[in-house]
Amino acid sequence: MSRAGRFALGALGLALAVFALAPAGSTATAGQDAKKAVWDGNRTTPAHLIPLRDENDQPIIPTETNPLPYSSRFTCGPCHDYKTIQGGWHFGAMTATKSGRPGEPWIQLDPKTGTVLPLSYRKWAGTFDPRALGLTAWDFTMLFGRHLPGGGPAEPSDEEVLAHPEARWSVSGKAEVNCLACHNKSGRQDHSEWAKQVLRENLRWAATAAGGVGEVGGMASRLKETWDVYDGPNLDDHEWAVVPSVKYSTSNFDSKHRYFFDLNYQPADDRCLACHSVSAKDEPRMNTDPDVHSTAGLKCADCHRNDLGHVIIRGYEGEAAETGNRTAESFTCRGCHLGENEVGEKSVVPGRLGAPFPKHTGIPLIHFKRLACTVCHSGPKPKEGFTRVRTSLANRLGIYGVATWATDMPAVIEPVYAKSAGHKIAPNRLVWPAFWAKMSGEEVAPLQPEVVDAAAGDILKPEDRIAQALVALSQVMAEDEIPVLVSGKFVFAPNVDGGIDSAERPGAKADTPAFWGIRKGSDILPLIPDFDPAAADKDPAVETRFLEFLQALGTVPGAPGQPVIAVKKTLYKLVDGVLDMSDAPAELAGAAGPGWLAEGKFAPLGSDFDIRTVTAKAGTEQTLTEEQVALVLAALAKSGEKSDFVYISGGRMFRLDKNGKLAAGAHPAAQPVTWPLAHNVRPAQQSLGWNGCTDCHSGGSDFFFTKLRGTGPLLTANVEKRSAASFMGLGGIFQRFFGLSFITRPLFKVVLAVCAFVIGSLVFLAGLLALGRLAGFLEKRAEP
Amino acid sequence: MMFTIIVFLSVIGVFAGLTFHRFWTTREEAGATILYAELLKKYAAWLALRTIQTARKASPKAWWDYVKALSLWRLPDLEKWLFVGFYGSFAYLAASGFFFAIFVPRGLYGFPLVGHVMAGGLFAACLAVIVIFKGRNFISVPKPVNLSLALLDPRKMGITAARVKFAAFWLFVLAGFLLALSALVPMLPLLPTAGQKLMFELHRYTALASALAATVYVDLEARSARRS
Repeated sequence: MSRAGRFALGALGLALAVFALAPAGSTATAGQDAKKAVWDGNRTTPAHLIPLRDENDQPIIPTETNPLPYSSRFTCGPCHDYKTIQGGWHFGAMTATKSGRPGEPWIQLDPKTGTVLPLSYRKWAGTFDPRALGLTAWDFTMLFGRHLPGGGPAEPSDEEVLAHPEARWSVSGKAEVNCLACHNKSGRQDHSEWAKQVLRENLRWAATAAGGVGEVGGMASRLKETWDVYDGPNLDDHEWAVVPSVKYSTSNFDSKHRYFFDLNYQPADDRCLACHSVSAKDEPRMNTDPDVHSTAGLKCADCHRNDLGHVIIRGYEGEAAETGNRTAESFTCRGCHLGENEVGEKSVVPGRLGAPFPKHTGIPLIHFKRLACTVCHSGPKPKEGFTRVRTSLANRLGIYGVATWATDMPAVIEPVYAKSAGHKIAPNRLVWPAFWAKMSGEEVAPLQPEVVDAAAGDILKPEDRIAQALVALSQVMAEDEIPVLVSGKFVFAPNVDGGIDSAERPGAKADTPAFWGIRKGSDILPLIPDFDPAAADKDPAVETRFLEFLQALGTVPGAPGQPVIAVKKTLYKLVDGVLDMSDAPAELAGAAGPGWLAEGKFAPLGSDFDIRTVTAKAGTEQTLTEEQVALVLAALAKSGEKSDFVYISGGRMFRLDKNGKLAAGAHPAAQPVTWPLAHNVRPAQQSLGWNGCTDCHSGGSDFFFTKLRGTGPLLTANVEKRSAASFMGLGGIFQRFFGLSFITRPLFKVVLAVCAFVIGSLVFLAGLLALGRLAGFLEKRAEP
Repeated sequence: MMFTIIVFLSVIGVFAGLTFHRFWTTREEAGATILYAELLKKYAAWLALRTIQTARKASPKAWWDYVKALSLWRLPDLEKWLFVGFYGSFAYLAASGFFFAIFVPRGLYGFPLVGHVMAGGLFAACLAVIVIFKGRNFISVPKPVNLSLALLDPRKMGITAARVKFAAFWLFVLAGFLLALSALVPMLPLLPTAGQKLMFELHRYTALASALAATVYVDLEARSARRS
C-alpha cells in the first residue's frame, strides 16, 4: 500500500473511532445523569423499595452469613448525588468556605478538669477550631458523634485517616451521611441507638442500627486496632470483644432483596428536634409549648428547606446575599411576613405558606431598624437572671436508656439580647467558656483535658479518693447500711456509678467536723464507735467490724498505705489477714479513726484537702475550687514548658501571680460565646410590647437591667458581672432614665393632645375667617 | 437622603428669596437694569459684600449684644418667659432634629432624643398659649374677591411683606399643629407600620416647613422692626 493509501486508511480508521466513541461517551454521560433523581413535578414521594448495597458497592443479601451494614453512599447515592449532599450544612463544616451567621458551637465538656470549650470548624467568634487544638476527626467524632448526622468529621478523607494512624477508622469504619437520620418516616428511627453505636465505635453500623434497618450487636471499641471488617467474627471471644454484626429485619425486604425505606421528602419535626431541642432547665414538659409555627401546622423543613445540595436555609436576614440563594430571602421572618429584605425594601411577596401580615400597631419605627423580629417574638421572655436552658447538642439531650446521658452543664443562658454583626439587636444563647490554656503573648491556646489531667496528678481527684474509700467500705456493710462521709452540712454517699452523691443534712452546721459514718435509715452512726480497746469487757463484735473495714479498705486501688484504725492510742491493722492490735508509737499519738499507715506515718482516710474540697463543692454545680486551680496552675508550670498557664472560668482569667497566689483578670478569651436564637416563636399576645412600651422601657425592666453573672466550673466569687444592656451596646444609665420617662408619658400625651387640639382649632378658625373674608360672607353678615 | 437634599434646596431657596427681596427693596442699583443677567450680577456682588461685612462684624460679643438688645427682655415677666421657652425649645428642636436627620445615619437617639421630646412638649404648650393670646395680631383682612382671571396675576394678588409675614406665622402655627399631631399619634396604639412611616415623614417635612416659615417670619419681622 502506498504511503498516501496508508495515511488515508489511518485517517479513516481514526474518524471511525471518533465516530464510534463519541456517541458512546455521550450516552454514558446521559445514562449516568439519568440515574440521578430529577423531580418530574409530581408532589408525592416515591416508594423507596430499593436494593441495599454495602460500602463496597456490593448488593446485600439479608439472609447471608455476616452481611455488612448498608451504605448510604452506594444505596442512596445512585439516585441522589452523594458528593453534592456531602457539601450540605450538616456535613460540610470542615470544608465550608463561608461560615454564615454564628450558630450553636459544639461544646467540649469535661467536668473533672473544668473544661467547657466551644468548638467549631466554622470561623465563629469565640469558638476554637478543633484542628488547631489537636483534635482529630476521630477525636471529634468520639466527642460529638452522638449528635452528628454522619458525614463531615465522621467520614474523613483517606488522607485524614492516613495522617492519624492512632485513630481507629479501620476498625470502626466511617459514619457516612445518615440519610435516615432526617428522612426516615419510620417510628423505628432511634437517635439513642445512633449515640450508643457511636459510643461503641460501631460507626459503619450506626445508620443501620439507628434506622431500624437491622439489629446490630458487638462493639468495635473492644476490638484490637488490627481488626478489619473482612476478618469476620472473633471466634475466640463471644462475650467481650464481640465483632459488630447486623441482623437485618427481613420483614422489610421483598423476594428480590429490596428493602422498603419509609421516607419523608421533608424531614419530620421529630427528626430535627432530635438534635435541635432546647428546653428550659427544670421546666416540666407539660408547661413547655411548641413553636407557634409548629402549632400552625408548619414543619421545620417548610422554612428550613434545601435542594439536593442540602445547604439548608437558616432563615436569617442577609443569608440570601451571603449564599447567593435568593429563595432564602422569602424565609426570613421579614421576608415571609412582610415581604421585606434586611434593609426594609420590598423584595419578595409576603404571606408565603399563609404567613399573616403583622400590623405592629403603635410600635415606633426605630424598633424595626434596631431590633431583629426575634427580640420581641422568640425565646423565653426576659426575666431576672435570665432563663437557663438545655440544648440537645450542648447537654446531650434525647439519648434514652439505662444510663443518663443528659447533663446540666454547660450552663446555657437565654435570651441575651446582643448586637449582631448587622448592628441589630437579637436574642442570643450564651455560654461562658472555661478551659485551661497556655498563653503566647495575649493569645490563648486551650489545653485538652487529658493534658491537664496528666499534669494535675491527684489534685483533681478528691472525689475519686473519697468515692473509692466509700465504695470499698460498702462491700462489708449490711443491707440497710450505707457508708458515708459527713462533713459540714453535707453527707456524702457512694452512688451506682462509683462516684459520690452529696445531700444536705437538715439542721447541720457548716463547721461540723468531718467523720466517717454509717447511715442506717435516717440515723448516721460513726464508723468507729466510742470504744476502749483496753477495756476488759470490750465488745468483740466491734473488732470484728474493724477487721471487715480493714479488709475492705485493703481493696482500694492505689491506696497511699496500709489501712489502719487508730483508737485511743491503739492501732488496728491486718497482719497476714489477721487483725493485729498494738500500741500506737509515740509519733502516732494524735492519730484517730480509719486511715493509712505509710512509712510509719498515719494519714487519715480522707485527707484534709480532699474533704475540704468535696465539702466546698457539695451542693453546687462547680467542680473546681480556687485551691485546686492554683495547685494545677503550679503543676502545669512545673511541667517543663516555660509558658504562662491560665485558667478561664466565669468570664475571668485566673493565673498565679509572682507570689504564687491566684489572681483574676479580664481577657477577651474569657468573654461569653453567644449565638442568635430564633425559636421558639411565641404567639403575638405573648410577644414583648403587647402590653405596652413598659414591657421593656421601665426603670427596672428585665429586658435592659437584669444582671448576668459569669458561671463556670470554678467555685469562686470572682466572676464577671454584666447587665443585659451591656450586650446591646447601650448605656444602662440612659435606658434607666428613658424607662423612667414612661411614668410621665401618659401625662405628656394628654398635654400634647390638648395643645394640638387648641392649636389646630385656632388654625382652623383662622383659616375659616380668611376664607369667609375672601368670599365676602362675613361682610354680608355684618350688613344690617 | 431625599430629605437631606430637600432640606438643602429649600434652605438655599428661602435664603436666596429673602436676600434677593432685601436687595430688591433696599438697593438702588437693583432698579437700574431690566436685564436678568445684569441684575443677578449686581445681586451676587451685593450678597458677597454683605457676607463679608456681616462676617467681619460677627463675634460672640456682637451676638451677645444682639441678644441682650432684643425687645424680648423688656416684656412683662410672664410673657418674657413664655417667649424664652418658646424660642429656646424651638431652637433646640430644630437644631437637634436637623443635625441628627442630616448628619447622623442612625437618626435622633439617646439623651438628645429625650431632650427633643421634652422640648417638643414645651414648644407645643407655648405655641398654644401664643396662638390664643397673640394670634389675633396676625389676622389680616383681605378684601372680598371677585371671580376674575386677574386672581392668577401675582402682581395683583397684593403680596406684601406684611402679608407674607402673617402667612409665615400661620404656616408656622399650622406646622406646629402637624408637628404635635405627628409626634402624638405614633405614641398611641392606632397606626400600623405604614401609618407610623407616614407620620415620621410628616414630622420631618412639617419641621422643615416650620423652620422655613420661622426664618421668613423672623427676617421680615427684624426688618420691619429696624425700619420702625
